[in-house]
Amino acid sequence: MSNVTVKIPTPLRLITGGQSEVKIEGATVGEVLRKMDAQFKGFGERVLDDGRNVKRFINVFVNEDNIRDRKELDTEVRNGDTISILPSIAGGI
Amino acid sequence: MIKIPASLLHQIYQHIEASYPNECCGLMIGTTDKDQNHAVHTFRTCKNLNQERARDRYLMDPLDQLRVQREFDNSPWEIVGIYHSHPDHPSRPSQTDTDAAYVGYSYVIISVLKGTVASAQSWVLNEAEKKFYEEPLVTEGDSR
Repeated sequence: MSNVTVKIPTPLRLITGGQSEVKIEGATVGEVLRKMDAQFKGFGERVLDDGRNVKRFINVFVNEDNIRDRKELDTEVRNGDTISILPSIAGGI
Repeated sequence: MIKIPASLLHQIYQHIEASYPNECCGLMIGTTDKDQNHAVHTFRTCKNLNQERARDRYLMDPLDQLRVQREFDNSPWEIVGIYHSHPDHPSRPSQTDTDAAYVGYSYVIISVLKGTVASAQSWVLNEAEKKFYEEPLVTEGDSR
């Protein structure tokens, strides 16, 4: 188990009671996010597709690395890591 | 409501006009009061990763987002909104904008016609209705 910090973007802070970061334990990103869902009702459905993948319009970084370039939700985390959840920002005419 | 110093908005317009005829985007950083009004104190330009349809679509580089978030991690300021351009189109949100929007941010859309900024409007998402509503965009003169 590692102690990590999860950074919460503005659109998800209604779910986390206004908290912009949460300290939590886990061995992988998936475990951390599932614990976040257990702690904050509705978190999982905003971030995860089916519990096995991150939603297409969400990017998750461990420190500077996008987990899509690593092992997705199986990406291991270490003590002191920061997990950043970023909504994909897009649009057009 | 979103308040932006005139000098900052002018700099954003310069980014918009320099990027024409392509769409461009950036993040606005500032504070939010208890009534959810935003005050912009600075901004950062971000890359548009949508190269194939750069004239009518944008996809902000998530690494730029991460960089900006990290830059203001230990600051009282945070990301309060997103700006992007509509080349040769009105400063109103499209369906594409609405589909990709999130609650809590101000979305400033800037119309640029033939390379010159024509109008700017700010919008906020009503998540339940999945619909944008315009909010006042207040430009403040500043003494800097």
